[in-house]
Amino acid sequence: METILVLAHTENDGSLAKTAREALHAAATLHKSLAGSKLVVGLVGDNVQAAANSIAACPATKYFGVTGAEFTQPRYGTDTAAAEAICKTAQATVVVAPATSRWARVLPGVAQRLGGRADTHVTGAAAADGKISVNRWYYRQRMESSQTRTQRPWILGIDPGSQSACDCGAGTASVEMVAVNLPDTAKRTTVVGVREPKADAQTIRPDAQLLFVTGAGWTKKQADGQTHVPEAEKLILGFLKASRASLGSSKSLVDLGGEGQAVLPFLSHLNQIGQTGATPRHAKGLSTCCHGEEPHTVGWRFINERRAISLDPNCGWARGKADVLYVADAFQVIAKVNELLA
Amino acid sequence: MSTAYQIVVCGSIVPDPLQTLEPVAAPTGPALKNEMMLPAVLDPWAGHALFEAANLAKNTPGSKVWLVALGPKAKLQQVMMTVAQKVPFELVALDGSASGFTDATETAAALADAIAAIPGLDKSKLLVFGGWESASRGAGATLQMVGERLGITDQFQGVDQLTLNADGSLEILERIEGGKHQVSKCAGAPALLGWATGNLPEPKNNPQVGMVNMRTVMPALQKAKPTKLAGEGLTFASVALPKQLRETQIVKDKSPDEIAKEIVEWIKK
Amino acid sequence: MNEQPQIERQRMDVDIVCVGFGPATAGFLTTLSKQLINPDGTPAVESATMPGMPPQVLCYERADDIGFGVSGVVTKARALRASFPEIKTAGIPMATPVGEEKVLYLLDPHGASRRSTALRLADSLIRATKFALPVENHALNLPWTPSFLHKHDGMILSMGQFMQWVGAQVQSTGTVQIWPGTPVAEVLIEKNGNAAVETQSSEIKIPLTPSGGESVRRPVGGASKVIGVRLLDQGVDKKGNPADGFTPGMDIHAALTVVGDGPVGAIGQQLDAQFGLPPGNHIRDWAVGMKFVVDLPEDTTLKAGTVLHTFGYPEPEIFGFLYVHPDRVASLGIFVPSWFDSPARTAYRYLQHWMLHPYLWRHLKGGKLRSWGAKTLGESGQHGEPHLTGDGYARIGEGSGTTNVLTGSGVDEAWATGTQLAEAVLELLKAKKPFTKQNLDETYVKRRRASWVETEGRVAKKSRDGFQTGVATGMMGLALAGLTNGKFSLGSAPVQPWKRIPTVEDYYAGRVSREEIAKVREECKAKSASLHGTLMDKVGWPAIPFDGQLLVSHQDALLMGGKVQAPHGYADHVVFQHPELCTKCGERICIEACSGQAIYPGENGGPAFDREKCIHCGACLWNCSQANPENPEHMNIAFRAGTGGLHSAEN
Repeated sequence: METILVLAHTENDGSLAKTAREALHAAATLHKSLAGSKLVVGLVGDNVQAAANSIAACPATKYFGVTGAEFTQPRYGTDTAAAEAICKTAQATVVVAPATSRWARVLPGVAQRLGGRADTHVTGAAAADGKISVNRWYYRQRMESSQTRTQRPWILGIDPGSQSACDCGAGTASVEMVAVNLPDTAKRTTVVGVREPKADAQTIRPDAQLLFVTGAGWTKKQADGQTHVPEAEKLILGFLKASRASLGSSKSLVDLGGEGQAVLPFLSHLNQIGQTGATPRHAKGLSTCCHGEEPHTVGWRFINERRAISLDPNCGWARGKADVLYVADAFQVIAKVNELLA
Repeated sequence: MSTAYQIVVCGSIVPDPLQTLEPVAAPTGPALKNEMMLPAVLDPWAGHALFEAANLAKNTPGSKVWLVALGPKAKLQQVMMTVAQKVPFELVALDGSASGFTDATETAAALADAIAAIPGLDKSKLLVFGGWESASRGAGATLQMVGERLGITDQFQGVDQLTLNADGSLEILERIEGGKHQVSKCAGAPALLGWATGNLPEPKNNPQVGMVNMRTVMPALQKAKPTKLAGEGLTFASVALPKQLRETQIVKDKSPDEIAKEIVEWIKK
Repeated sequence: MNEQPQIERQRMDVDIVCVGFGPATAGFLTTLSKQLINPDGTPAVESATMPGMPPQVLCYERADDIGFGVSGVVTKARALRASFPEIKTAGIPMATPVGEEKVLYLLDPHGASRRSTALRLADSLIRATKFALPVENHALNLPWTPSFLHKHDGMILSMGQFMQWVGAQVQSTGTVQIWPGTPVAEVLIEKNGNAAVETQSSEIKIPLTPSGGESVRRPVGGASKVIGVRLLDQGVDKKGNPADGFTPGMDIHAALTVVGDGPVGAIGQQLDAQFGLPPGNHIRDWAVGMKFVVDLPEDTTLKAGTVLHTFGYPEPEIFGFLYVHPDRVASLGIFVPSWFDSPARTAYRYLQHWMLHPYLWRHLKGGKLRSWGAKTLGESGQHGEPHLTGDGYARIGEGSGTTNVLTGSGVDEAWATGTQLAEAVLELLKAKKPFTKQNLDETYVKRRRASWVETEGRVAKKSRDGFQTGVATGMMGLALAGLTNGKFSLGSAPVQPWKRIPTVEDYYAGRVSREEIAKVREECKAKSASLHGTLMDKVGWPAIPFDGQLLVSHQDALLMGGKVQAPHGYADHVVFQHPELCTKCGERICIEACSGQAIYPGENGGPAFDREKCIHCGACLWNCSQANPENPEHMNIAFRAGTGGLHSAEN
């Protein structure tokens, strides 16, 4: 019999993030398809009661918690110890956890410690004929597999945004506290803070509805034979401000910035999407001045509705990849869009 | 205070990032179509890690860099001719699959064994570097397991910056959600860092560095241990490219104003 | 004089430095590497720079990896088999023995090509008598072809895959190193024993293009000796000025510099500029070969080993080829020669029309583009043979005039000269003799002159001269030279390519009016586009039905097929030497012919260069209608050493 453990950490305010509810959804789906399985929840944080209560109506039969000041900071030494202790106490055979930066750091290590296996970039798990199979992505999200494993525990890192969030209601959960014996070596690292990007910095915002993709065309010579970089900068920043979109960029545009050239200074590798960048998940995506084929377009694989503005009607980035391709000059269109959004 | 480090970078080869990839079913499990024909490069993330390692070694006298790579010998040799001109390192080669479909646990076991076998390894000076992600697995799982096997419990992923403090401690910036960085202070080696892109430009080719590296690269390749990654217990039911072809409506004859209006409506929908 | 500030450069000393890893250098290193060490591991010959060690042998290749950018071939493989007696095609990806060979004359199903009256007459005759001739799908399968064209017992190879295979073999000996991604910028020449090194600096306004004959030989000023090479500067801006991370190219000093950098290689060009060509020789015939590697449709009837050669279409001057590799893969493409006098000669669009010819399209429809690339072929053969040796250097391969223009064979010849040089070098090393011109002549050149490369090259030398007059004369001249062992030929010696290029108006006279052309020019200027697309449409070429997998836009071919890229921090390697000539140039054939759309209409009306799209085919070197004022043997575009380009090893 499989025991499915949803492993989550609380946020600074003691709540559960959407990503945790997404993992819960994935686990509940698996639990439902696997007769005889048991669903339990494990939580790590300063205090986990509120978080447990917030999902008390979910089908989990048991709640485990590791709490204390030591477990507030996302730190490998303490987080692995906490996760290991919960997995052991819960006798988990399948662990479903959100692949947040905090859990992504530790989950494979936990699998190693427990003699199990870990899969990352998981987007779904279900059982057929009593056998669990998992969908995950390989080669930078370019191909998807369906696979099974015999080893347990099997730890699954669920890609944030790949599931709908479990909408189970609140209640009162009884949480069994798990004691963790922390060796001194687990505390050699101290998290001293979080460095925020500058207030005006444009980054990939996971919560945004829209991903705005800027391609190298913005800095190339336009129809008049001149470059218009300052204008491009103004238009892009204006659009981001008005639309609250997340900013993604093609590698070539980011690379130009890295070379110290006077092009779009607000772009960094943090904005890069595609084969060697991020593959964010957003409801909508608008690409401008992009050109490319697979693997360039990997960057917006997980964008649901896609539109593109390009002067090239055969643009490989857009044709067959976007829902709508506007054959037009992005400078003109975005200028007008900004006017309308203002 | 200056500490000399032993920096071991784990990194292997991946298909040149611009190549078109297609999965095929091979007798041993999934593979890439024409895998041996695809041009290969050092995994970009591992590359950043290697360049950061070399930079750290340069700034901390007495330090040394190893590159532990598990991949098909012939392809490794080829890629080394590009990498070896960049920065000084000693290669430890393992002859086996560099496929993205190999199991992280098995890869980690092979890498950890190879690291542990490096002569003169002193764990109190050990920094294990690697890529946070990989262009093949895209997974970010192997390094943590390598660290566990080596008993390293100070691990960091998505690292963009490492600063050595005067007291010998390490300040590390890791990427977290929302474009932010988590700042951690680690007492010192041993530690494991999975690098994101870092901040260093790719080093220029240096023929003399290449010549020096070659003294160890070729012997390392010649004695590369055959390493079998069996994928025990792992069964692939399918591997497929996502259906990605969309019916694209091509709008050609609308004015920028009309298009802008349509886009704004769509954004607000 | 060179007024550059002195730059501190590092220096490294080795025994032999090779420039370019193509088939010639591969042949050289294959032969050499096997014999540098005794079976007991001791050096068979000793290094002068590292006593006690075997000679230090390095090869620098400009492309980002071994086997990027070389082309697919059918070859008799005589020299390859001599080096690898046990060679089996099964061990080399994409290699297969030659099977069926066909030569096809393609008729023009659209009536859009520019055909002479004689050719039109012949076409009508073929169409009228097709019941009696092997004509199908607008193609005449020549019932008989002369034996010199056959490749019986030969192999079809992907040169990219073959070079990777050879590279691995050679390097696994541990005696030689091949460094990709490292262009050699300049040759180092020492004069009269003067330690001061002279290079052909890019700052000096002399054409770094091939020299064309004794009349333009530059005064050498006494004995000159090649003492090595200088690598390309890194961390510079487009113009080569130091920028972030400036790393001056290192000087590699070597007792012997082996130059095998092909027909448009920077070092070969500089040696020609420095030493001139032997009397009577000139380099004036070129072609660009552009190809696709294609996954054939699953139900293909083409068998591995099939070799098709075509002529007659899309223009009479354009030749085509299709070779079938194992596993339903084909290499196919066209050659656009310098004697095709069109100022709008775009290989890319013509290649698509060629693929769409009914005879070929029935095989290709449903196929998928895997790889794409282009390369310049030195078509001068022995006409263009440079000085093969000098003190401290030797030249091998295509850049040394090995290509046999009669049989259309180059790889085997290039390889053979590499092995000949290796044998010579081993002989000299063992005898402890220096690499002087005399010693190299007595060993390397002697071997080369006595070999089949020389005798067959001599037969071929004048075989293509007929094409200077026209395609029909050319074909007849080819046959005549081939069948009489070169005793007879037709036509006259080639003229400089720029002299052949007519104005756009003259070329299209009678088909597109001057007024219309003027209008096209205005339209294209406004769109910053080249002219050939519109002009070809106007003379009846049908639109290309893009299918997203085989028929794709030129831009997509760069991305899907060539995976073209260029690292940052290097200077532009294509330079318009006298921009004032470009602004007043009416043809701008450089833009029309550029294989990668890397040369495009720029500001001020002249062409501009985008390094990130360049595939290093080198066709711009000879696709220029402006003579260089300093030396009318050359044209106005310099093609120098540069990085980047194709990232595919299937070509």
